[in-house]
Amino acid sequence: MQRSTISRRHFLKSSFLSGAWVLSLNLPMAAQAKTKQPSTTGWSLYVRVHKNNQVTMESPVMEMGQFMRTTGPMMFAEEMDLDWQSITFIRDTRLHLKRDDEGKIDFRYVKANTGGSHSVRWTWEYLRKAGAAARQMLIQEASEKLGVPIEELSTTRNTVVHSKTGRTITYGDLAEGASQRQINESQITLKNKNAFSIIGTDKRNIDLKDIVTGKPLFGIDAEYPNCKQAVIARAPAIGAQIASYDKKAALAVPGVQQVVEMSSQEETHWFNGNVQILAAGIAVVADNLWAAMKGKAALNATWKNTHDAAKENSEERIKKFYDLVTDDSPAERSKDVGNVDEAFSNADFTVERIYEKPLHAHALMEPFNCIADIRDDSATIITGHQNPKAIAEEAEKYAGIDALKVEVISKRMGGGFGRRYERDFVREAILLSKKIAQPVKVTWMREDEIERGMHDPACVARVKAGVKDGKITSWFYRQAQTKAGIQDSCFPEGLFENFRVERCSNETFIPAGPWRGPQHPAWAFANESMIDEIAYKLDKDPLEFRLDLLLPARELPYTNWGATIKDSGRMAICFQEAAKMADWKRKRPKGRGIGIAGHVCHGSYAAFVIEVSVIDERLQLHEAWGAIDCGLAINPNHIRSQMEGGFIDGLNAALFNKVKVEDGKVTNNQFGLLRMGKLEDAPIEVHTTIISNDHEPTGVGEPPTAPAAAALANAIFAASGKRLYRQPFAESFQV
Amino acid sequence: MTIKFKINGRTIDPTNVDMEMPLLWFLRETQKLKGTKFGCGIGQCGACTVHIDGEAVRSCTIPLASLNGKDIRTIEGLAKSDNDLHPVQQAWIEIDTPQCGYCQSGQIMAAAALLAKNKNPTDEEIDKSMTNICRCASYTRIRKAVHQAAKFYEA
Ligand code: FES
Ligand code: FES
Repeated sequence: MQRSTISRRHFLKSSFLSGAWVLSLNLPMAAQAKTKQPSTTGWSLYVRVHKNNQVTMESPVMEMGQFMRTTGPMMFAEEMDLDWQSITFIRDTRLHLKRDDEGKIDFRYVKANTGGSHSVRWTWEYLRKAGAAARQMLIQEASEKLGVPIEELSTTRNTVVHSKTGRTITYGDLAEGASQRQINESQITLKNKNAFSIIGTDKRNIDLKDIVTGKPLFGIDAEYPNCKQAVIARAPAIGAQIASYDKKAALAVPGVQQVVEMSSQEETHWFNGNVQILAAGIAVVADNLWAAMKGKAALNATWKNTHDAAKENSEERIKKFYDLVTDDSPAERSKDVGNVDEAFSNADFTVERIYEKPLHAHALMEPFNCIADIRDDSATIITGHQNPKAIAEEAEKYAGIDALKVEVISKRMGGGFGRRYERDFVREAILLSKKIAQPVKVTWMREDEIERGMHDPACVARVKAGVKDGKITSWFYRQAQTKAGIQDSCFPEGLFENFRVERCSNETFIPAGPWRGPQHPAWAFANESMIDEIAYKLDKDPLEFRLDLLLPARELPYTNWGATIKDSGRMAICFQEAAKMADWKRKRPKGRGIGIAGHVCHGSYAAFVIEVSVIDERLQLHEAWGAIDCGLAINPNHIRSQMEGGFIDGLNAALFNKVKVEDGKVTNNQFGLLRMGKLEDAPIEVHTTIISNDHEPTGVGEPPTAPAAAALANAIFAASGKRLYRQPFAESFQV
Repeated sequence: MTIKFKINGRTIDPTNVDMEMPLLWFLRETQKLKGTKFGCGIGQCGACTVHIDGEAVRSCTIPLASLNGKDIRTIEGLAKSDNDLHPVQQAWIEIDTPQCGYCQSGQIMAAAALLAKNKNPTDEEIDKSMTNICRCASYTRIRKAVHQAAKFYEA
């Protein structure tokens, strides 16, 4: 329908369909912070204005609990002057793609994926321009209808107002005429911040009622006509192959129809460039899910492993990392400013520590699932994925279907955290549907999800600091990790005259992928712990010590993904505000203590104070106070929600989250074996201050997580005098 | 073996169904009641929490065979109607508790069972009885929402 009416020449095209005005827009890509992301796209968001002045909207960006389904429409509705209460939101999101001149697939309209705390930044300009364009068309239509000049008209809550005469006319009445109008970009102006009435106000999750009444919102709830159900017995160890299985027994389970071998695949991982192995497996296809599950058990599959990956052992790896960071073997030197060695030899004293962070599981609550219907020359795929474009690309690559002929229906995700950026769970459904020539839904079990994890890398970091005349003069950070990079441009980078970062190379088959703020938690844990330790050594207040490093405020270059500069003043304000809320100077009783840590990533700044007690080796978390600077706050309610959840998620990871790999196999592959933080482990409250300023809005999904481990370790030290260098902390204290 | 039980007030007489099947899958796949969620299948996460004779129970661990004569309530049957939500659901909305939302049916069912017995639980009592996992860590709002629901009950 409206898709075919879009012409690239037109800035905006709208039409009046089935009694409602449908608006599609095609905007040029906005300027944005320098990133490795593709730099061209356009966007569309369908808003339907009904005759009765009610509005239906499709929220274009993927939702995984980061609230973009709410935030995106707020930006649009603000500029269109919509009455927020009048909007009904469509549950699923459809994907619209185009092929660029080089044949590359890209989003046709808005960049609909979510990750890197970037969805607000990717859509901030487009969504507002779209709303403003729609508003302008409505005003033009009203001007003609009322016979008054455009300049005399204003808009509020789905209504155009002529204040001179007090006449009003609703969007519903204007929609049909307005939809015939053409305007160009120069005719639209965006609101001044002071005129905002939706942006900056607390809005609730648009899906709230559907969630609390148990509506089928998630991929796992989706149904599809004539769809088979499949579960896959996956090789539990990395690189393992099928040895034997009892096909007959599986087929004997009532309801089981087919048993299909799925071969393993080795490929280069999109995120970290290392080799990655997708598991071999045996798919059991049945007419219902329970039969498929029983069939899988009946397979009694055994596996053999001749791959080098069979030797992978995470504890041994970590031990080796200690060797790597302490020997002085050549390593990739990513930062080297000043003369670190000379500064060390001139120092009054140096401190050297090693910090360990294990593999973190994603353990998102909704096990993966994907419906694939691969037909002769088209396909339908229904799932929850952070990057729906990748789904169409997979279908093109693995089933030979033109990506533009792949219908992708995106469902709400029961958590993403980076893991739903991976393609494995989509690809296997595509391959299986193609093989059996029927629509099929593949559902993962929890064990699959943890075993086939693309974990946050295990990381060991050595930090050495040199102090002279009460000041840090030299800093050396050396890291070894299971794959992936290093967030070496976050603070304290830029704060010391002499600064060096090294990354030891190391080949491993243990998979890694993005995990809520990839590699930021490891960096923040080591560096923010060390800064704290030195403050204590110098008998300085850890807050004042940090402020001395950060102030006077200065803009420093930022070379990691997601921003180009970092502002030490913005970081300092977060520390100050978090400390103020925590009543930082107040002395806590014996056995209680507070700790502070902060971090910059993805263009946002966050700092937290947490209060804990340690009594008879028992650790208890009490209360936390966090401040975030994410530029202009679009929905304070959900920023607070991310501050609470993101920080506690980080605490839980530091306390408990440790995946263990032995002989290439994850051994703690279920909840219970892998401890997850629960209500009783969470602080009673996380208080949030949102710093208000005029910076463009930046993300909130990841920045609150990274400071958690260091804040907690620093608080534990304050409470107990014991400093923790190894995660998970629950191995050192009773929790 | 023939058994009968009630789901959300409706009598169910399951035929041609594997009696070993856990209630979770019967609800989701046979009854198409998708509000009850699968998280682990071994009773560890609480995503599948329903009420059986008023008690919060993890439905992934309950085989159909054990349900004869039982009264089962799921998230779909918690509210009197879509316009007359249960106090716990109202409180969840008031506090805007969910993040991804996946664990929340189970959290709500656990909270409703707790409040049915204890009209005004303390933080400690809430922490003790609510052991459902939320990876999004919406925990502080869950605690607040339980207190809010207690107030709604009173009113
Ligand atoms: S699915 Fe039942 S407790 Fe996890
Ligand atoms: S809201 Fe996402 S798991 Fe609880």
